[in-house]
Amino acid sequence: MYPLPQNHYRLLNRRRTVLTWTFIIVLVALSGFCIIATNFSPYNLYTGLGQIAWIVFDKFLPPHPSALGSIVKPALDTVAMSLVAAMAGSVVAAVLGFLAARPTAPHPVFRYVVRGFASLLRNIPALMWAFILVDAYGLGTMVGTLALFFSTVGWLVRAYAEVIEEIDQAKLEAIRASGASYLQVLGQGILPLVLPGFIAWSLYQVEMNLRTSSIIGMVGGGGLGFYIDNGIALFQFKDTAMAIVLVLVLILGSEFLTSSIRRRIL
Amino acid sequence: MLHQEELGPRRTVTHPQKPKTNRLFVILGILPPILFVLSLVDLNLPLGKLIPGTGTLFIDVGKMFPPDISSWQTTFVDAGTTLEIAIASTAISIVMSFLLAFLAAENTTPSLAVSRTLKGFASFLRGVPILVWALIFIVAVGPGPFCGVLSLLTHAVGLLIKVFSQAIEEVDDRVLEAMRASGATWLQTIGQGILPMAQTAFISWSALRLEFDISDAMTLGIVGAGGIGWDLENHMNGFDLHGALFIYLVIFFIVFTAELATNRIKVNRMKAVS
Repeated sequence: MYPLPQNHYRLLNRRRTVLTWTFIIVLVALSGFCIIATNFSPYNLYTGLGQIAWIVFDKFLPPHPSALGSIVKPALDTVAMSLVAAMAGSVVAAVLGFLAARPTAPHPVFRYVVRGFASLLRNIPALMWAFILVDAYGLGTMVGTLALFFSTVGWLVRAYAEVIEEIDQAKLEAIRASGASYLQVLGQGILPLVLPGFIAWSLYQVEMNLRTSSIIGMVGGGGLGFYIDNGIALFQFKDTAMAIVLVLVLILGSEFLTSSIRRRIL
Repeated sequence: MLHQEELGPRRTVTHPQKPKTNRLFVILGILPPILFVLSLVDLNLPLGKLIPGTGTLFIDVGKMFPPDISSWQTTFVDAGTTLEIAIASTAISIVMSFLLAFLAAENTTPSLAVSRTLKGFASFLRGVPILVWALIFIVAVGPGPFCGVLSLLTHAVGLLIKVFSQAIEEVDDRVLEAMRASGATWLQTIGQGILPMAQTAFISWSALRLEFDISDAMTLGIVGAGGIGWDLENHMNGFDLHGALFIYLVIFFIVFTAELATNRIKVNRMKAVS
């Protein structure tokens, strides 16, 4: 390697600084434009916050505990939808993940097809899937479960494929060298290595599903979202507040639970 | 004849011990099927509808073709609004969480009580789904982009305070100690000690947040917070399926592009979430 002349470094450095600053200025200008375009001003924020505080303290608080009786069923539905979608989705995604990952794909064509399909499933938000599904399956938890299932498969195929691609190729090589068949390599070599990663991602997906399933009722998917949406439309704010508290408990609880399991298996 | 002593101690072949199965894995193998069945029982899904419904689904999707691009102007304007909502809320939430994160991180906070309060508040903010925030804010400030920004912002601040303060807490304590020992003020410790170390995490989380905000902003419109979601809702309700398909394509294109842009960062960072 030839040492570069001193001023070459300086030139490179300067070009980099100029680039960084241009980037920052463009970002700031763009953000400023968007903030103005969306009517976000300190004055609006101030009056808005005042109104929000008034609404929350006057209308929503305190939550009505008496509403709990009618919330239990939607809450159970919400949990059940996210669990069913996460588990069924994990199984489907595990199969597709193996087809989509480089070391295990039987043929490169599978990789592109499966990855494209997964990206279609996850890049259309679950609530928008629900729109299409409502017509075919009718209102209710079926739609919610299927919409969650779609986005679960979309996310997990990608995550699983990436977990598979991350494993040490030398280990697989060793198993193959000792004469293992394709299925033996999968079962004895890949599966034990990727299992913790798979479980961690699935747990994360349960948490994501719970977030989505608690709102998917707003577009006809059943569960707590329907209750909340309905409650606000009917001005029953204190009952709604109780449901929101329950959503909060569910989501933070699942966050705590899944992250402590994840910490123990990884 | 050779004696045992000359051969050396008898060699016994020891098989490598099979690693003990983690009990947690066993639980994870048994529990999910049980939960699955229980959940199915609770949902009582009309599984009979699955096959005819799927048939209808394919017919419906077929009916949506070809996409109708005649209202592309409104669609693009609305898509622009959605992006504006996303960018504005990301920008504001980054600034707010950046400032608050130093108060929330245990190694830079002026007092532990402040740190605990802030972290608890942040979990509250991100525990309530964005659409629920949007519903509350619509009642308060009325529908429109401002409402959208507020609800995305609320959720984003909750997430960013958490991950920013985690990044700050990962900075080596000895670095800070050395700086304090040499007489650096609080601001100097932050500017010279923490920022250089945590900035990669800050930048990648901000980029990720923008991606999340973009895809969340799409759905916000459904409850009336402005943008392309509202447009989609209108087309679907008016049974303008060809127009709706065009909007679906635009949404897919935008979210897909955002995902491509942050692809590298995501996988590494998502592992750190919670």
